[in-house]
Amino acid sequence: MKILYKATYTYKLFRLLYEQCESFITTLGEITYYCVEFFKELKNFNTSFHEIIEQCARFGFSSLPITLSIVGMTSIIVAMQIAGEMVKQGGGNFVGMLMAILTVREEGAIMSGFAIISMIGSSLASEIATMKVTEQLDAIKVLKVNPVNYLFTPRVIAGTLMMPLVVIVASLVGIAGGALASNITSELSYKAYFDSVWSGLSMHDLNVCILKSISFGFAISLISCACGMNAKDGAKGVGIATTKAVVWSFVSIVIIDLIFAAAFFY
Amino acid sequence: MGIQVKNLVKSFEDKKVIDDISFNVDDGKILSIVGFSGSGKSTVLKLISGLIEKDSGDIITSGGDIAMVFQYSALFDSLNVFDNISFALHERKDLRGKYTQKELEKIVAEKLEMVGLSGIENKFPSELSGGMQKRVSFARAIVTEPKIILYDEPTAGLDPISSTLIEDYIVRLKNETNAASIVVTHQMSTIRRTSDSVLMLYNGKVVFEGTPDDLCAEKTDYTRQFVNATIEGPMKINV
Repeated sequence: MKILYKATYTYKLFRLLYEQCESFITTLGEITYYCVEFFKELKNFNTSFHEIIEQCARFGFSSLPITLSIVGMTSIIVAMQIAGEMVKQGGGNFVGMLMAILTVREEGAIMSGFAIISMIGSSLASEIATMKVTEQLDAIKVLKVNPVNYLFTPRVIAGTLMMPLVVIVASLVGIAGGALASNITSELSYKAYFDSVWSGLSMHDLNVCILKSISFGFAISLISCACGMNAKDGAKGVGIATTKAVVWSFVSIVIIDLIFAAAFFY
Repeated sequence: MGIQVKNLVKSFEDKKVIDDISFNVDDGKILSIVGFSGSGKSTVLKLISGLIEKDSGDIITSGGDIAMVFQYSALFDSLNVFDNISFALHERKDLRGKYTQKELEKIVAEKLEMVGLSGIENKFPSELSGGMQKRVSFARAIVTEPKIILYDEPTAGLDPISSTLIEDYIVRLKNETNAASIVVTHQMSTIRRTSDSVLMLYNGKVVFEGTPDDLCAEKTDYTRQFVNATIEGPMKINV
């Protein structure tokens, strides 16, 4: 005897929850799989210097204008709000230090990460997803070329190498933006601001910043490529893969940031 | 020896897409696999090429490379024709560094000449017509001198004249490479002009096996329905 259950709202809610959990675990598994495959394929590294440079240019230079704009403007906004208050309270000499710590430890890396995800991560995912749905990845496999080696290696290496450079430049622009905003809104002199910057920064901060941005670059490029590789069902699938890449990259860099904050500054 | 397929079975979730099929294709021969959409034709090609894993059964090949020509060519759109054709020669682990640039240029020129497209090495796929893209994908497929060539609906989406040209190239490649070939197609003209034998699939099972003449003789209900393209008959399709 067949028992029919009515699809109640509770059932639908739990069904949705189940599907979300299943999707989460599947995606996590896929990313982990491709991470392992990437390291396994590194020994067969065959990417040309030209290809690496091309991907580095894509990761670094093409994203630089938007990254610098976002980090610079965020610093200006923050400085506009804190500089006036600090000068009023007699803490004008600490504005530069505060902005430097904020930018180098946190804002430079995380805001650059967000900008890179939006510009480059989404483009990597959609590029590979399009190759998947147009059978180009199948063609690569039939020609006995490993798609992880061919597609992931140059992109992940470029992402890992270029992210620290982008973050360093973005942090410098962020600190400079803070100086400009402090000077205009609170008439804090550039000398006072930068004297305070140098006293507030340490090598530890810079090292952690570089290490963190290397992790961000690796995570963004790997997750974006992995989500692209698992695209299916035509144009809709490309859209889903791109969205997934952006969401997972956002979440992953926030988690990495949390781990770094707990490990190095707690 | 070519290709020997024995008792091949493949299911996706609960649905049996390939249900215990067997066939042989000798070197220098062409087998056409026909059937309605969803009958499992392309799945057979993906199983032979190794793109998907079989559940059970045997696929025995004579060794050497297996090449596949995809339905929509599947050319790498970020690479030009030269890089598309020479892709396997400079990216494949066992072929890396084996050829100099001059040798690659010579091989690509030869393959392009075989498909009647000399001198288009620097063009990108987006600059080519559908028929030309298909012929470039033929050239890419034969660049490693494969022993088996699989064609997934090679004339789909082409005008009749381009289709005839493609069919001629399928026969020409077979003669020049002596490869065992399988052509998945819906088109009677492709079957008549290229094939030595025909296999008809319906719901993953073989419902007809014979020569193109046997197919056209309409000896069974299945062949009659397919050749006359009628809705009435043993094959029911959900469209």
